[in-house]
Amino acid sequence: MFSRRSLLAGATALGGTSLLPAIAHAKGSVASAIYPGTWEDAYRAIVAPALKKKDAVDLELQPLFAVDQIAKARAARGTPPFDAFVLDPGPRITGIEGGLFDKFDGKKITNASKLPAGTIDDWGIAVSAQVVGIAYNPKKVPAPKGWKDLFTDPWVSKLGLTGFQTTFGTVSLIEIAKIFGGSETNIEPALVELKKVLSKVAAVGQPAAMPSLFQQGQCDVMYTNTQTVATLKGRGVDIEFVKPETGAITFFTTLHIAKGSAEVENAYKYFDVALSKDVQEALTKPPYNLVPVNKDVPLPADLPMKSLDEMATYVQHDWAKINPLRASWIEKFNKEMAK
Amino acid sequence: MTKAAEWQLALPLALCFVSLFLAPLLLLIGVSFFDDDKITQPGFGQWVKFFGDPFSYKVIADTLLLGVKTVCATVLLGYPLALVYLDAPPRLQKILIFVIVMPLLLSVVVRTFAWIVMLGRDGVVNQLLLSLGIISEPLRLLQTELGLVISLTQIEMPLMLLPLISVMSRLDPNLRDASAALGASRWRTLFTVIVPLSMPGLVAGCLLVFASSTTAFISQTVIGGVRLIYLPLLIWQQSLVVFNWPFAAVASIALLVSVLTVVSALSWLGRRSSGHLQG
Repeated sequence: MFSRRSLLAGATALGGTSLLPAIAHAKGSVASAIYPGTWEDAYRAIVAPALKKKDAVDLELQPLFAVDQIAKARAARGTPPFDAFVLDPGPRITGIEGGLFDKFDGKKITNASKLPAGTIDDWGIAVSAQVVGIAYNPKKVPAPKGWKDLFTDPWVSKLGLTGFQTTFGTVSLIEIAKIFGGSETNIEPALVELKKVLSKVAAVGQPAAMPSLFQQGQCDVMYTNTQTVATLKGRGVDIEFVKPETGAITFFTTLHIAKGSAEVENAYKYFDVALSKDVQEALTKPPYNLVPVNKDVPLPADLPMKSLDEMATYVQHDWAKINPLRASWIEKFNKEMAK
Repeated sequence: MTKAAEWQLALPLALCFVSLFLAPLLLLIGVSFFDDDKITQPGFGQWVKFFGDPFSYKVIADTLLLGVKTVCATVLLGYPLALVYLDAPPRLQKILIFVIVMPLLLSVVVRTFAWIVMLGRDGVVNQLLLSLGIISEPLRLLQTELGLVISLTQIEMPLMLLPLISVMSRLDPNLRDASAALGASRWRTLFTVIVPLSMPGLVAGCLLVFASSTTAFISQTVIGGVRLIYLPLLIWQQSLVVFNWPFAAVASIALLVSVLTVVSALSWLGRRSSGHLQG
């Protein structure tokens, strides 16, 4: 015999499940990892509503740094915790080598023709560019000309450094190594020079702490990207960006579909919306200050370039060569810099 | 309630411990016995690499030393505060307990970034010292071990004070009067009556502060910077930047064992002191 309670519970459950397909049909969704902070704010405010409006797809954002995305996807072993990645070049290569991405079909992106050449491949598509150079406080120090200036007064005693944990840190240290005779695969000269001035350097910090250290006057010169400079400027911090005389560094932030994702079509729709002119233009505005990749979007005035085509002349790096060496560089940096 | 029923009541928690703590710990130990970062070739390579490198011993020693320094600082500043609490009228005690617990109500990230504002070159401490004419150049406090110990002392202070106050509040006030009546000075009463009786609370506080400060990854890296390398930073780099999980597992086991050894020694000391008092 059924008790009244079990009958009621059963009826409620049945009623509930009969509603489920309707809900799922009305609300397609896609879960995407996103960098915490500015990126998360920007995508929540601009991309998610645009995707909902255009395709009735809900965008669920999971704030994770690039390395955390790779670590989570690797740990999940075939059942990805999200459908899409947003990555820098280093973790991108790790993802490709680890078989974490679905094959990417650029033909499914209607805005693909608006992107500069070489920004789409079999694994993903560029969604934003990053430009890395030197940032300084114009009220405290004169503008440095290039990487070499960072090792002399008055800049060296105000210098804030980070190691090889991040993409911008790694590429900046490579450029410093090149100035002193090194190369993309030989960073030894940079470490030798750094060690000589280490006692004078103002801060050697975690990348995430650098903007706060700059804001608090702990350091007045650092290597960083234009987006960080624009964000700090927006908060009233005295900061300017300098394109080093050997050239600013550039790389793309890319979107990828997770292997095993059940929402592949929605992921393509999400990418297409994120690359559309209106969305890309809104993302370039303060307080987000992202660098666009859609060529129809006018570039922000404080970027050190007139058009995206100029990026081809900027310094770029081969992460397939850098990645295998990075572990030993981090180890070396730890040992050389440790107090 | 029968003994069997009591045992059954503890079963859900025991199951949680086994599935959420013991199983991952065994996995961690298992992962450490692989030579490559793809976790395919079994071997002792990562153990040899970690313990064959003198740098690893330096990092372990620095990590434990940081815990000892933080414990000393919290004891030196926390014990007098606990004595003040003991003698304070009930209203003041309420205010004091609120002030003591307050740091626990804030996220550790917020507390840590607040210390950047305090200790920076243009920070509150330097500006105060400069305006008072005590120093002519800003002191370097951030990214030094001194700055890290100062901030950890504030961050970990509730963990020292709460057990200390809880034990000290239970002390019989007549003992102090008896000691005074027998001619002991206030200092002698403190060192021969109050300190020994408060030992279980003091040991519990030391234990918590030590375990928490040696593993305080956010404070260590944000305030200490990356030139002060402690085991949590090494584990983070290896697991999340380099993706060498076997090496990170070895470093994690080293952290676990070294901290547990000190914590066990402290807890043995605590049991011995309370046994000594009762015996």
